[in-house]
Amino acid sequence: MFLPAGSQDETGQQINNRFHAYEIFGTVTKRRNFEAISTPVVEYAETFTNQYAGMALQSMLKWFNREGEIEVLRPDWTTAVARALVNQPPSQLKWCYQGSVYRSDKDGMESRQAGIEIVHTPVFLGESECLLTAVNFLRELSISEYVIELGHTGIFEELTAPLHLSPAQLEKLRQAMHDKRKDEVLHLASESGSERAAEELTNLVDAFGSLEVIEVYEKHWKSNHRLVEIIQHLKKLAQLLSDCGVDEILVDLGRVKNLPYYCGTMFRGYLKDNGATCFSGGRYDKLYEQFDEQISAVGLAFDVDVLSDKLPFGKEQEKICLVASEESHAYAEELRKKYTGRIVDIRYALHDSDRADYDQIVDVTKLNKEDKVVDK
Amino acid sequence: MKPCIALTKGRLEKQFLEYFQSLGFDIQPLVKKGRKLRVDTEDFQFVFAKGVDVTTYVEHGIADLGIVGEDVLTEFQPDVFNLLPLPFGQCRMALAAEAGGKWPERKRKIASKYPNITKEFFRLKGESVDIVKLEGSVELAPILGLADGIVDIVETGTTLKENGLIIKEEFHQYTARCIANRSSLKIKKDCLTPLIEALQKGEAVT
Repeated sequence: MFLPAGSQDETGQQINNRFHAYEIFGTVTKRRNFEAISTPVVEYAETFTNQYAGMALQSMLKWFNREGEIEVLRPDWTTAVARALVNQPPSQLKWCYQGSVYRSDKDGMESRQAGIEIVHTPVFLGESECLLTAVNFLRELSISEYVIELGHTGIFEELTAPLHLSPAQLEKLRQAMHDKRKDEVLHLASESGSERAAEELTNLVDAFGSLEVIEVYEKHWKSNHRLVEIIQHLKKLAQLLSDCGVDEILVDLGRVKNLPYYCGTMFRGYLKDNGATCFSGGRYDKLYEQFDEQISAVGLAFDVDVLSDKLPFGKEQEKICLVASEESHAYAEELRKKYTGRIVDIRYALHDSDRADYDQIVDVTKLNKEDKVVDK
Repeated sequence: MKPCIALTKGRLEKQFLEYFQSLGFDIQPLVKKGRKLRVDTEDFQFVFAKGVDVTTYVEHGIADLGIVGEDVLTEFQPDVFNLLPLPFGQCRMALAAEAGGKWPERKRKIASKYPNITKEFFRLKGESVDIVKLEGSVELAPILGLADGIVDIVETGTTLKENGLIIKEEFHQYTARCIANRSSLKIKKDCLTPLIEALQKGEAVT
């Protein structure tokens, strides 16, 4: 039998690493007072494709139900959790989740995530808690070689607001910024008639790198109150991360939102050795507008598959083989207690080729109606 | 680790090497590569692949940068930074049909290596067409009666002319472009920026 493209069986260490990552995530979030939430795997497509969530139906795994409505396998946690949280008491501010998301445009279709959502919380506190939970989790996983990137949706919005572009033009410009396609940014922004704005946006494409970029733009934008406010907010977050021991922080002031619900700070974590994105998230108060709620909401999700690949193969526990028989099996089972914390296997025979798999081999035999143990 | 650049084999490769040399880079190991598909120079590692594969290597972070035709980027829409145009590889996308042939009034059949670009072109015109995907020698399709017309890139127009086809409409101007992996550009900014700036400015490195 064959597997569809992207699906795969998994065994051993790969699964152990993932369970380990989920377990550590559970411990870290519990200690930080997060409450676990789970949403169903099957939801209505509308939950994710409506104008507030804005996800593309093409990339979802979908079908028609008996009533002719489109149902999908959960393509995104944040949107699903937002739907669920509307019915939860507002007194609980911090939520965590873990499980798979399914998208046909991703390698493997199924990808595993673990994430957090913080609601009804002051902006800086919520964002700080998100980022520091990420730092805490990565530290517990012994992953130290990573970079955190900060961005803000408000910069692009502030710089394009005076241009009076049509929604279609604005979307083209956003896409060009997303692709860091400078020639196209210049061309599209120039259509607005403002050379200065076009130059500003074109330069913004390159406004990424170390924290020096923040210093440069703080001076550059000193006459724009809104932009200074954004820059100082990012600066405060960067300072907090630095004070908490994060060595490498990047900013990308030209980063734009890739989902319509982002509205404020955006963050992303990269693993330094292979550049993989290990977490991403940001502020998405707008997502709750679909429920007529004005809610402060921020969150991030870890790519558990990326983290699991990164985890070192843990030291195997000592493995013991009890070579017993049908008669001595009950005694061998009793003997397990003697070897707590170790892996104990009971077998009736052991081929020479299998001996290397065990650290210790113990014969459990019955002699003269008495159970005996012989270490080998 | 040296930055890795994926280069489109063939005509773009030659044009890139000329341009790269004009910027003061040593291209000797690349010229003398023989059939090797991976070549190290003092400062970079180069891999050679077909255009669409260049985008795959860059998207997956195997290569940090890529040199590829914009036609490929428009057709396949890879998830990469599409940084800048390069001063070579100029071509245009065109709709062509047999000279003197009748452009039928019924739903038309169009042959192309670029089904997505073709679909978008006719969608914007408000016309439904049937697209026949071909892998090469697209000019044959109208001559042999497989399609009413073709959508393909045109550089000089000689191939069209020699096969009795004429351009009915041109609709995109393309050049070669430099693309970058979304993470590499940020994490390896210090080592990639001088090269990207040299490619952009077209000025010799100092």
